[in-house]
Amino acid sequence: MTQPLLQITDLHVSIGETEIIHGLSLTVNAGEVHAIMGTNGSGKSTLTKAIAGHPDYTITSGDILLNGRSILADEPEDRARAGIFLAFQYPVEIPGVSNMYFLRTALNAQRKAHGKPEVSGADFLTMVKEKARLMDIDSGLLNRSINEGFSGGEKKRNEILQLAVLEPAMAILDETDSGLDIDALKTVADGVNALRGPSRGFLLVTHYQRLLNHIQPDVVHVLLDGRIVKSGGKELALELEEKGYSWLEQAL
Amino acid sequence: MPTQTTNSLLNALAHDASSEPAWLRDFRAEHQKLFDETGIPTQRHEAFKYTNFRPLHEQAFQPAAAVEITEADLKPYLIGDDDLRLVFVNGHFSDTLSRLPRVPDALLIEPLGRIIHSTEPIATKLGAVVEPSPFGALNAATFREGLYVHAAKALTSDRPLHVLFVTTGGHAIASRLLMSCGEATDLRLIESHIGLGDAPRFVTHTSEFILARSAKLRHVRLLRETDASWHVAQTAAKLDRDASYTHQGVALGARVARHEITALLNGEGAHATLQGLTMAAGTQHVDHHITVDHLRPHCTSNQLFRSVADDRSHATFTGKVIVRPGAIGTDAKQQNNNLLLSDDAKVDTRPQLEIYADDVKCSHGATSGQLDANALFFLRSRGLDVKQARGVLTYAFANDLVEHIGIEPARHHMQQVMHQKFHGLLGE
Repeated sequence: MTQPLLQITDLHVSIGETEIIHGLSLTVNAGEVHAIMGTNGSGKSTLTKAIAGHPDYTITSGDILLNGRSILADEPEDRARAGIFLAFQYPVEIPGVSNMYFLRTALNAQRKAHGKPEVSGADFLTMVKEKARLMDIDSGLLNRSINEGFSGGEKKRNEILQLAVLEPAMAILDETDSGLDIDALKTVADGVNALRGPSRGFLLVTHYQRLLNHIQPDVVHVLLDGRIVKSGGKELALELEEKGYSWLEQAL
Repeated sequence: MPTQTTNSLLNALAHDASSEPAWLRDFRAEHQKLFDETGIPTQRHEAFKYTNFRPLHEQAFQPAAAVEITEADLKPYLIGDDDLRLVFVNGHFSDTLSRLPRVPDALLIEPLGRIIHSTEPIATKLGAVVEPSPFGALNAATFREGLYVHAAKALTSDRPLHVLFVTTGGHAIASRLLMSCGEATDLRLIESHIGLGDAPRFVTHTSEFILARSAKLRHVRLLRETDASWHVAQTAAKLDRDASYTHQGVALGARVARHEITALLNGEGAHATLQGLTMAAGTQHVDHHITVDHLRPHCTSNQLFRSVADDRSHATFTGKVIVRPGAIGTDAKQQNNNLLLSDDAKVDTRPQLEIYADDVKCSHGATSGQLDANALFFLRSRGLDVKQARGVLTYAFANDLVEHIGIEPARHHMQQVMHQKFHGLLGE
């Protein structure tokens, strides 16, 4: 049995005094795509931020292992360098810093941490343009400030571009489908599908089933009130679409 | 009461005017009297409440002496080709370091010390713009040398004139710049204040700009003094009808910097843009005092000042917009944003509006805050460490002004300076 890529065991997460996640366990193996579905306020975003190491979220008990090693003591940047990537539900705008500079700085920070040489400006430009083309992303976005004045769709595509450049082992997408029209949704889904591979895991957090029409998950989990109440195959997503969440809430 | 060492500062500044024309001796005497009424201001003066000049009384200064510096000393501060530059070292004009090749006949550039003996009518221009203030009066009474620039009607040039005021340490220096822009001229000026060496120094500097009808001046001012420098300056521009003055300042250094900027919108349709970026660290103190005076109808003004305060530094902003009776159709904007990088850093902001006319549009706003926690987390989640992430966000805050510097070589130069300052954060 190979080691799981991401293993979460009995995780409890609080914001301030309030516990949001009440004992969640989840295992993602390399090559798998997991979807987490749930209502608003069920703790989906909290889970993603806790994995990425947001300082406002306190893990009170349980553990998160990446390739068998606990990452709880790691700073967010150490988690990123270890292979965790979080695509944000609400990408941050940073006027004054070009997307291109930022992407290269991020890539080189990670390469440096792994003892690899930094990528030169020219090599990076070639690489990032190719990735942008593959992801069907307008390379004009590269020369603009990070997310400044981007449409909702452009912001989400930009998150996927970062994913493509940084090539993390474990990609977590927090409601990347929210606020997207069908074309943007398809671009994002195509990007994720292109990045699927035997050594990479995905955790897709979504409110709606429609993203899963374009990205076929291996496992679907239902998160309600800070716990996974049901897990199943991709057909579970269709069942949720049809019946909603109330039948599961009643079962709680 | 002036102490022994204040006398040392004033003695070091004392200027022998005996060989100067009568009008200038009168001008100096009048300002000396004005200065004597207040002396070096204390924090009891409302306009100086944020800046403490008391430590100045404990320091001794020598009279400004011409010190030899080399082209290599200047090199880090030269901008682009810099083939049109005037260099002053400790207030003394340097022929050897200055470059003044073939300038158009319509452009007169002369050290003040020479021009005062000529027939050029500068008696009516000198001191005609700058508002009386204790340090302004001190400068007028004691300035030793400076530069006079006059552009005749309709002269336009995108080749910037760079004036460098270099200090080497140990002296008290009073320098001055007077620029008169004729009707429909369009010119660019870069003013650099550069500190070399470690010894304490005191600088009083006044820059005056007179813009005739439809004249356009882009003025970039770079303050790069040392942590042992006292830098007290006035910049004042008076604008005639439809004239346009753009001031873009970047203050990177001085132990104490006090900069008073005044724009007098004295003709219908005149426009002033005043922008400033302060990067304060260590125990630096940077005090900006801005006055925009709307004297005539339909003038517009736009102020944007930003400060980054790190360590135990202190940045202050006082910005006053005055709309005089009858100045209808005024459109005045004022914005001051401050970024505090440390718990011990401090900013004070005082936006002020005085409106005596109807039918005007005035807005002002001020913010003070720390780096955005979400943005920090975002950058760290991409693998940047805390130092890098803070650097990127600080750079972003500052670069928003730097990237809008309206003189291309100065913008390019300052972007490189900023990159060096945040070395290793942004790649080449």
